[in-house]
Amino acid sequence: MPNDSNTGGVKLNKHAKGPRPQYFSDPASDKLLAMVMALAGEVSVMRDRNDTLERLIETKGFIDRSEINTYKPSKEIMAERDTWRESYLSHILRIVDLDTGDMGRNDISSEFQDIMDSV
Amino acid sequence: MQVRDYEQFAHAVLPEVTAEEFSRQEFVKSYKKHLATQVSPNTKVVYETQVKPAFEKEHGRTPKNRHEIRKAMNANNHYQTWSSLLRTSQEMMWKSCQVPVERQLDKLISNSRSTKNAGGSLKLDPTLDIPRYHTAVDIHCQPGGYHTEVAENDISAGAVYDRGVYIYAMGQLGPMNDDIGASTAAYLKYAYPDLAPTRILDLGCSAGHSSVPYKTAYPDAEIYGVDVAAPILRYAHARCESMSVPIHLSQQNAESMDFEDGSFDLIVSHILIHETSTVAFRNIMKECHRLLSPGGIVVHAETPPFKDMADDFDSFLLDWDTYNNNEPFWSKSHEIDPPSAAKEAGFDPDRNFEFMAPSAFEAAKENRTNVFQGGDFGGGGFWYLYGFQK
Ligand SMILES: C[S@@+](CC[C@H](N)C(=O)[O-])C[C@H]1O[C@@H](n2cnc3c(N)ncnc32)[C@H](O)[C@@H]1O
Repeated sequence: MPNDSNTGGVKLNKHAKGPRPQYFSDPASDKLLAMVMALAGEVSVMRDRNDTLERLIETKGFIDRSEINTYKPSKEIMAERDTWRESYLSHILRIVDLDTGDMGRNDISSEFQDIMDSV
Repeated sequence: MQVRDYEQFAHAVLPEVTAEEFSRQEFVKSYKKHLATQVSPNTKVVYETQVKPAFEKEHGRTPKNRHEIRKAMNANNHYQTWSSLLRTSQEMMWKSCQVPVERQLDKLISNSRSTKNAGGSLKLDPTLDIPRYHTAVDIHCQPGGYHTEVAENDISAGAVYDRGVYIYAMGQLGPMNDDIGASTAAYLKYAYPDLAPTRILDLGCSAGHSSVPYKTAYPDAEIYGVDVAAPILRYAHARCESMSVPIHLSQQNAESMDFEDGSFDLIVSHILIHETSTVAFRNIMKECHRLLSPGGIVVHAETPPFKDMADDFDSFLLDWDTYNNNEPFWSKSHEIDPPSAAKEAGFDPDRNFEFMAPSAFEAAKENRTNVFQGGDFGGGGFWYLYGFQK
């Protein structure tokens, strides 16, 4: 789980001074997008942890929890995880790719009516 | 020192990360990479196939400049999504670097005060005013900027920044985040083979990322660094000492420093100018002229100016940080005209230069996008240098 607990007693401000741009016509969409990506990040963190777990079990047959927390992936494992995250992100952001195709056109309802009429 | 090209070099004050904190930072890196390589290219497609034709239909002409393109793109949903994703990645990046620092700040501060002694020095000035261009907004969305202090002998801004830069550039600046300095020094060695500086000054040196490579390039020179922010200078001092690189750091405003006239042969700055202001740039140029010895050189390294972009659309992409990443002087600083700046500061306009220096960090080469765009820092593969000789 996210380690957001602050044992050092210091709290750093998490918001940058300055107005945050509004991107979508409804500000709720901006918030939702940020939440979805934060969640995507947590799933990815859990996936790494699971990967660590499997690797430790595979090589040692048993595990010690502290080893998961201090596990340092090698260059090769980091590259495998990079590849996994890339395909993971393209799943999550699939909808954005469509913007260059049919979805990008503003109004396709009349076009769709034509298709309906033709079948 | 064990340096591996795929991870940040662990000097004495680099924050440690747990496996989960590391995974969170790695996610941000992948997220940024995905945007730069998979989503950003579509922005141009959307512009060419949808936004530009719609603009032409409405106005009977193509957009005049990057500002008109920006206005038109702001209304496009693909661009809104890309921008919102990029802004969010920046916020997640800082947070992923802040949490580990909060957790271990006491230890980091104590490490910073007990590093070995490499012969450098640190001089702070608690009375120095932090310029308005740093207090008005938190530059590039780093909460608290470079200057905010939350503890005694604080180094948190430096610790967050050091790790943040590594992830921001997706490792493309090298294990020591030193690519801008190393590339600039390589250019100087090549273009001015006879230059043998005895004293070098690095303006706005931050954590010393770019200052360190000058010691490699010019081992006999004394290196000085100034910055306005105390927490980042304390961090820089500990970092450089622990890396056995002696640097003399002082808390000063580059617009007005306490060094003597003609006391440097080489003055450098790396991605400093775009974080200042029109007036500050003018003052900094005058200070450089005063501090240089005859024949001395000053060079500023930045991302390339708008005039070097292929078209207005690329300029618009380069300009993303201005409006979306709290970089109020980014836009104007990319319009700086070196010949006029030379004249104004008293440099000989015939001896100023501009150069696109290839990135010195070869290992990142094959993964670069070679595009100068928001969110893809170091991806261009070149640094824009402009400089003046006295
Ligand atoms: C982007 S960072 C520089 C990074 C560093 N030069 C490098 O290459 O890694 C900009 C730095 O300039 C400092 N700065 C901004 N304005 C300044 C000024 N007028 N005088 C001195 N330092 C300044 C900031 O505090 C910040 O640390």
